[in-house]
Amino acid sequence: MRLILTVIRARPLWLALALACASTYSLQAKDAAPPPGIPPEKVADFVHAVLDADRTIYTNQVVNRMQAKGIVSAAEHWEHENALPLPAQFLQHSGKLVAESGRGIRYRLISLWPIYQRNAPATDLERRALESFAQTPDRPFTGIVTSGRKQYFQAIYSDRAVSAACVKCHNSHPLSPKRDFALNDVMGGMTITIPLD
Amino acid sequence: MTSTARPFSSALGWGLKRKLIVSMLMVGVVPLLLGLSLAFLQGSKEIQVVSGESFQALATEAARKLDLLVAEEVARTSRIAVHPDIVRALEHRRDALHASDQNATLPTLVQQRAHWAARDPAAVKAITGNSTALLLQSFYAGSQNESDQLLPQVVRAATKKLFITDVQGNLFAALTTKPGFSHAEAAWWKGTFNKGVGQLYIEDLHFDEQADAYVFSISLPVMDSLRYEVVGVVHRVIDAKEFFSPSTHTIRFGKTGHVMLIDSRGMVLSCPILPTGVQLSGASLIPQVTVRQPGWVTADSDGHGGQGTAIIGFAPLPETSRATNGALENGAWHTFVWQSSDELFAPIRHLMMWMMILATVALTLLATLGYFAASRIVTPVRRLQEAARLIGRGELREPIQIHTGDELEELAVEFNRMNTQLEAAFAGLSTQVEEKTQEVQYLQKSTDQVLDAVPTPIIMIDQQGLVQYMNRASRDALQTQENSWSSRPLFDLLPLDDDHLQALRRDLRLVEENKPTALPSPDQEPALKEARDPLNQTLSQASRSARRELRIGSHLYHYEWFPLESRSGAGKRFGLVLRDTTDESRLQDQLIQAEKSGSLDVLTAGIGHELNNPLFGILGLGEAIQEEEDLARAKGYAQDIVGHGRKMAAIIRDFTGVAARESKSQRVPVDVTAQLEQALAIVQTSHDCLGLNVQKHYVTVSPVTALPDQLRLAFINVLTNAIQAMSGRGDLWLTTEEQDDLITITIRDNGPGIPKQHLGKVFDPFYTTKGQGEGSGLGLTVAQRLIKKFGGEIRLESPEGQGTTCVITLPADKAGVRKEEPCVSS
Repeated sequence: MRLILTVIRARPLWLALALACASTYSLQAKDAAPPPGIPPEKVADFVHAVLDADRTIYTNQVVNRMQAKGIVSAAEHWEHENALPLPAQFLQHSGKLVAESGRGIRYRLISLWPIYQRNAPATDLERRALESFAQTPDRPFTGIVTSGRKQYFQAIYSDRAVSAACVKCHNSHPLSPKRDFALNDVMGGMTITIPLD
Repeated sequence: MTSTARPFSSALGWGLKRKLIVSMLMVGVVPLLLGLSLAFLQGSKEIQVVSGESFQALATEAARKLDLLVAEEVARTSRIAVHPDIVRALEHRRDALHASDQNATLPTLVQQRAHWAARDPAAVKAITGNSTALLLQSFYAGSQNESDQLLPQVVRAATKKLFITDVQGNLFAALTTKPGFSHAEAAWWKGTFNKGVGQLYIEDLHFDEQADAYVFSISLPVMDSLRYEVVGVVHRVIDAKEFFSPSTHTIRFGKTGHVMLIDSRGMVLSCPILPTGVQLSGASLIPQVTVRQPGWVTADSDGHGGQGTAIIGFAPLPETSRATNGALENGAWHTFVWQSSDELFAPIRHLMMWMMILATVALTLLATLGYFAASRIVTPVRRLQEAARLIGRGELREPIQIHTGDELEELAVEFNRMNTQLEAAFAGLSTQVEEKTQEVQYLQKSTDQVLDAVPTPIIMIDQQGLVQYMNRASRDALQTQENSWSSRPLFDLLPLDDDHLQALRRDLRLVEENKPTALPSPDQEPALKEARDPLNQTLSQASRSARRELRIGSHLYHYEWFPLESRSGAGKRFGLVLRDTTDESRLQDQLIQAEKSGSLDVLTAGIGHELNNPLFGILGLGEAIQEEEDLARAKGYAQDIVGHGRKMAAIIRDFTGVAARESKSQRVPVDVTAQLEQALAIVQTSHDCLGLNVQKHYVTVSPVTALPDQLRLAFINVLTNAIQAMSGRGDLWLTTEEQDDLITITIRDNGPGIPKQHLGKVFDPFYTTKGQGEGSGLGLTVAQRLIKKFGGEIRLESPEGQGTTCVITLPADKAGVRKEEPCVSS
């Protein structure tokens, strides 16, 4: 039993790693063939598609099934509670792994109503993008931002409440500033940042 | 009382009383101890569970509180990290470093490090006095902060260092001159920088030289304005004890119960008892309490140096642990709730003590009551025991008085009844024994008297041949003194020669081995009879020793051994009887002499009697011949004379035949009736038979094989005897009959009969009741021998006063019916 749990607990980690590897591989491929040039919007679109697919599979095929069978559930403090990471945490952690790999591309989830302040929008672009989702949730918001002398391309995609777990957690978390989310609501966005120099 | 008590305690070990008390105590003590120990165990267990769960809850709560405390502090620090001016300054610094040539930068850094280390005022001012440092100071002092964002006094005091490094880990801004210049190699810096990604890094407890205290640190990355990458690191070093003690030290319960904070190595961050920085005692305890879930354990060590069962509740700090040393895997912080087990178990120990005291009181009461109860039970039992002892001795005179109203009283009643019955039985028995003893004594005395009165010496010996008894006759015979014979060897007492002694011993051995004696014991009787037979006077001269005779003094004794009944287990006993045969043998000798002389007279008279009849016939015939003229008749007479002569010759021959001389004459079939008639005629002629009335009942019978003369002689003798008995007057019945090949001749008279004492002797030779010369005493002897010779039998019956009946039986000879030879009759 313990062994099974360990395996299951380990599975998302492996999955994340595999995803990270897949993503980086594709990026490498793009970097390796620069001459015609792929516009950063397309790159971000690719990355977002992959990330969204991965998270959907994690949410539906891993977390939901495990919870339905009562084997293991997802929880915020999953490290302490023998639980699976929440789908949002899954994405954040994979983003951290990607960042730590030093490839330059980064992505994270942001929201106008973040549970933790670190997930609030960091730039005006991000803020405007999130605000724009109220009207055009399906259109990504892109732009170029600077940090000192560095330039980055950012693409922000709206992010919806893909499962009941998302809604339930954000509506009940003590630190959550907004508590009236419904399923499929736009809860925030996914920022993909690509350095331009 | 002491004498009665002794058998209880000494002979049987434990007395009934002690056993009763002990069993009562055991009945009380065993369940009490069992119950107490069960209660103690169960109570301890429940206290453990309850305490453990409480401790766990407390640890969880404390962990949450401390977690929030740390989180709050992280949040405060993060306010520095996200300050736009600081971010901008660090972005510029990054860009500057990035833009400048590496070769040009390196010496500058080396110079800066050297100046900082030397506390060069310019270098110090460049770092502690720049705009960022000023921002840090205002943050630390609270001048720039909103009112709710002021650092609490405690936190301010606990903050030992606060500085910012640039993207390369070099000091960028600091509050004081304490921090080092370069931190790129420090674990906390690497962890916080995290390859430019940045993450919260809470450094585990360690001793800081500059702060001179055990500290932990909070490091936060300063992200660029995009939150894309790290541009610097804010580092705060906090005194663990000062920081946590206000939170942990207030949580106290009981005397020893408290909450402490440890890290996953077991190092104490804060504890009201232990100093910060020491490690928990009990290495095995640390892995038990530093698990990732809240819980409680029963451990052998309390972590505070105490040994013994300790109950410890614990819980990790969830958020803080996630950032400890960069990741959860690298370490975690835990709360640790503990209370001294002495204190924890004090209530149940108090309870136990009280219960023990009450139990002791109860047991004392039990023992006291048990003593009285046992006394009540045991006292009548002792009286019963004493009574039983008295009954055993037969000394119980008064009935037992026990009135307990229970089984013991019934037992006493039974005892009394038994005693009464026993007394009655014993009384009857002793009377009987007395009677029997007297009887035995009387029997012994009379036996002694009888034995003493017997003239035959009787001696009794044991198996060893020692004399046990001698009667008076034997004492006289052996001339031993009174009592001098007792237990002396018999063979020493007997004055005998060796031959006789050996014979005596041999016979004793035969008797001992239960064998038949070698010689027939009545071997003297035939000798005497033979000696009395005048016609066969031969005396068997067997040796005296072989004939069991021994001579003591002038007396001759016939001896006889006989085995005596002996008690089982005792040796065999034998008796010796000596029969004095001195007089007997002398008489015998005299008798032989007398008979030798007397029988001749008898014989003579008998022969005379027998010969008289034919002689008178011859005389008469002779006279008739003298007077007879007719020659023929004279010749007839002469023939009769010849016949008589022959008869006389036959008589003479028969007399000699009495002496068992077998007649050579040939036996012929004889008509019994004819012979009887002839015999009657002969007898009638020779006796005065005037008053005789003969009644004859003859039937035709088969002849018998015999010699006619001798058969007739037998009849004559019987008839003579009968007629003489009747003195010639009376009735004489003659009967013949045949039955089953036996011819029976009955000759019955109505004379006086034969007295019973003579009846057995009538066939003895020379036995007669008649006067001298009247009878030879041989008549019936001869008749018996003759009848027996012919295979027949003769017997006399003489009912008292009814005459005598002589019954002669002869075997019939049916085959040879032949005309017998003409026989001359008188």
